[in-house]
Amino acid sequence: MEKIFKEAIEKEALLATRRHFLSSLGTGIGALAMGSFLGSCGTQSAVKTSSLKIPPHFGKAKSVIFLHMAGAPSQLELFDYKPVLAKFDGKECPKELIEGKKFAFIRGIPNLLGPKANFAQYGQAGHWISDHMPHLSTQADKITFLKGMYTDQFNHAPAQLLMHTGSARLGRPSMGSWVSYGLGSENENLPSFMVLASGGKNPDAGKSAWGSGFLPSIYQGVQCRSAGEPVLFIQNPAGVNTDIRKASIDAINAVNQETFQEFGDPETVARMGQYEMAYKMQSSVPEVMDISKEPAYIHELYGTKPGEEAFANNCLLARKMVEQGVRFVQLFDWGWDSHGTSKSGSVDWGLHQKCLETDRAISGLLIDLEQRGLLEETLIVWGGEFGRTPMQENREGKTQDYFGRDHHTDAFTMWLAGGGIKPGFSFGETDELGYATVNGKTSIYDLQATILHCLGIEHESFTFPFQGRNFRLTDVFGKVIQPILA
Amino acid sequence: MILLDAGPSDWVLFFGHFHPVLVHLPIGMLLIAVIMYFFASKKSVPYVFFWAFISAVFSCLMGWALSQSGEYDENTLFFHQWLGVAVAVLSGALAYMTAYWSQDAAMARLIKPFLFVSVALITLTGHFGGNLTHGSDYLTAYLPQPIRGWVGMEPRAEQGGANEPAIRKIANIEAALIYQDLVQPVLKQKCWSCHNAEKQKGKLRMDSPAFLMTGGEDGAIIKAGFPEESEIIKRLLLPDSDEHHMPPKGKPGFSEEEISILHWWLKEGADFKKKVKDASADAKIKTILKRYSSGESSGPYLSPVFKMSISEADESDVKDLQKLGLLVNPSAKDQPFLEVNAVNAYGLGDKELEALVNIQDQIVSLKLGKTKISDASMKQLATMPLLIFLALDHTKVSDKGLTSLEGLRYLESLNLYGTQVSDAGLASLAKIKSLKHLYVWQSKVTDAGLATFKKARPGVQVDNGFKGKWPLEIDTIRVEEKMK
Ligand code: HEC
Repeated sequence: MEKIFKEAIEKEALLATRRHFLSSLGTGIGALAMGSFLGSCGTQSAVKTSSLKIPPHFGKAKSVIFLHMAGAPSQLELFDYKPVLAKFDGKECPKELIEGKKFAFIRGIPNLLGPKANFAQYGQAGHWISDHMPHLSTQADKITFLKGMYTDQFNHAPAQLLMHTGSARLGRPSMGSWVSYGLGSENENLPSFMVLASGGKNPDAGKSAWGSGFLPSIYQGVQCRSAGEPVLFIQNPAGVNTDIRKASIDAINAVNQETFQEFGDPETVARMGQYEMAYKMQSSVPEVMDISKEPAYIHELYGTKPGEEAFANNCLLARKMVEQGVRFVQLFDWGWDSHGTSKSGSVDWGLHQKCLETDRAISGLLIDLEQRGLLEETLIVWGGEFGRTPMQENREGKTQDYFGRDHHTDAFTMWLAGGGIKPGFSFGETDELGYATVNGKTSIYDLQATILHCLGIEHESFTFPFQGRNFRLTDVFGKVIQPILA
Repeated sequence: MILLDAGPSDWVLFFGHFHPVLVHLPIGMLLIAVIMYFFASKKSVPYVFFWAFISAVFSCLMGWALSQSGEYDENTLFFHQWLGVAVAVLSGALAYMTAYWSQDAAMARLIKPFLFVSVALITLTGHFGGNLTHGSDYLTAYLPQPIRGWVGMEPRAEQGGANEPAIRKIANIEAALIYQDLVQPVLKQKCWSCHNAEKQKGKLRMDSPAFLMTGGEDGAIIKAGFPEESEIIKRLLLPDSDEHHMPPKGKPGFSEEEISILHWWLKEGADFKKKVKDASADAKIKTILKRYSSGESSGPYLSPVFKMSISEADESDVKDLQKLGLLVNPSAKDQPFLEVNAVNAYGLGDKELEALVNIQDQIVSLKLGKTKISDASMKQLATMPLLIFLALDHTKVSDKGLTSLEGLRYLESLNLYGTQVSDAGLASLAKIKSLKHLYVWQSKVTDAGLATFKKARPGVQVDNGFKGKWPLEIDTIRVEEKMK
């Protein structure tokens, strides 16, 4: 008993943060409190949880599934067909191209490496797709390629952060958080932003890639696992049944409510929302995460591996979540970093293994969403955090044992499909060697602006005041890629 | 030559730019002096007129400085300038009159007419000034409809006009004039507002072929046959952030297609009389032309429903529906259109659905998948005039109910996946002309029924589930062989 009292007193002391202290002193330090009056210290009026909010314009997409191939897949073996590069295979890379450039591992003058895949054109769109993606090529007419993507980060973690938070440094909210903050959740029993990872590892950027930054923490992504318990720490402890759990959450939240009335800290409300959501998720999450009840032909479509942690399972889960009104589903699949330092990290065998794990699942996802009438309101985004060089990697000046490519920022390919996007279209082009974008240059911010646009959000006016400044996902950049909009 | 051509010095223009700020002083002072003269003590009126005079003189000087930029319509400028001078002189005169004539009854009678004249003059001067900066249609641009008709004005273009495509549909594209039908409408929509009779930014007018060919302060903007060397194209192609990009930041610019057409016209000799059929078009131009002739828009598609002006639903009605567990939300901020979603209310049945009657005129999207509704509700759905998206998957809806939906004029997407609907139902759906997407996977629809429907309505995308071979055989061995 004594312990509990002690803890309560300590907690209370913790709550009395600098700001609470200052503001309770009243007008004496009024000038300091001024900041919070102006709403510049991140203090917001009560945060509404899980209520649906209204986008500024009509959004064709209602949800997003972002398929991030962490490690950065090679565009030159998948979608950016460069026959000229094949001709120069093994020749020294022209000096002009690499002069003054920095690479993660390439040093000196590397040799060019021709595409290690066979390409053909598919669909009415005539998209070039390699034989690594046979299933996807049957879905060519649903896809719009962005072949002129570029970034300014050549290491995984910062590049992933830039992709998901609009900044290569830590601390900004992720796209999924922005979207759930902006639009709220459709399903009252599920979080609006869910994250699924496969490939045996979380992405290098870690949890910050789905963090809520300075947005209220209720908007951060909830990571679920496709093997084992779907969400950690939401099950009832031993000896506690649902009724007791509910009663204790109600009691805790009653106290929280009082605390909120006293201090007005929005995080208190966020915490209350999280307790409630965790309680609801006890039944809703296991249900949505359970793929065992799906019919056999659906498992066949995706190529799932029930009971394992697999990308294909995650694709199926993503569909189930979107069907249930989850706003933003973020998938990460680790293992696309084909430097050529090992067999599994090669752009032929290694990349092919990754494609075997994902090609059928992604194509199945497109097909499944379409036949359920969901593709027209779900935006699918596929890509890595940067591209790979047209040159063979020569780490430490040595030729690698396997075909491999270094990280590349000047050009890479991503694709979009579904809600709000023109089907069977291609935007952007690289030069003959696939080294740099020559037209349709698309920045990470442009992509983010476009994703928000499809959801009905104007990236320029969608801001959150923090530390005296209005922040937005796209910082001060970004332009919606108009030509690809349907 | 260069010296002669050099424009006004920066100092002149610097002071000139204060004119629009300063002019409000004499206007205000003059009016308050008149009001004081009639309704308050006349004692201080001369002072006010005196200061109105001083500020008017300064305004005139700065106005003159601003006019040196040469960007304004000469006619309007002439009137504005001399009226302004008249106002200045008159306010000086009035300062004198109110100070020295007030005591003399005979002379004092003359003051009033002068006061009226001064008010009239300042109003006119201000009006012309406004026309110079904002354009002559600024004041009346938003005159509401019935009154527009009475005074013989054209109805106002729909909102967001500048983002609308300038060219809608050209029936006989071959006979169309490239400039007049394809180029000019876009210039008119996106450039004329700053390069016209009243305003000539960069000393450039674009509102007639002759002016276009004359060019602006830096000379010709068109080099016939050489689009890349034509200033007009160069300006359009500059990055948006460049201060010389046209139109300036914040104004809606040319789309890629519009630039391509302008480029084509310049390459074809910038001939104002040339017809489409007399010019050689490459594949890219041909697709654009095809689009123009079919009238489909290049930009993102949006249902015509969203351009309608309709009344808003009652907030209490919306609240009542939310109590049923339905999500009811506007499609977008400040718009009356509503989207209704039953994702949290699968228990909803025909009875509960009746509550939608109060917002039936506003609903554009209705997601009732997996709910307990049946054919009985279809009659009610038919009374929702603006319905665009309708999801009835996994409900008891059957062919019988679908006959009620024939009258939905804007329905674009209909989801009947997992229902009892069969070929007969498709036949009634074929009558919905606006339909674009139809989902009938796991229904009773047969391949033959689907074929008939597709023949009747080739434009509709019907999805009956994936039927192809799956998974595909993968030639892994070949990939292995190629390995290093
Ligand atoms: C909001 C007003 C505005 C609009 C709209 C506008 N312009 Fe301009 N324009 C200017 C101004 C101001 C200048 C002078 C400054 C400069 O040269 O950049 C100018 C100058 C020019 C010039 C250079 C003239 C010369 O000889 O120096 C060209 C060419 C031009 N505009 C073309 C266009 C075209 C084409 C459009 C339509 C896409 C357009 N402008 C729309 C304001 C506008």
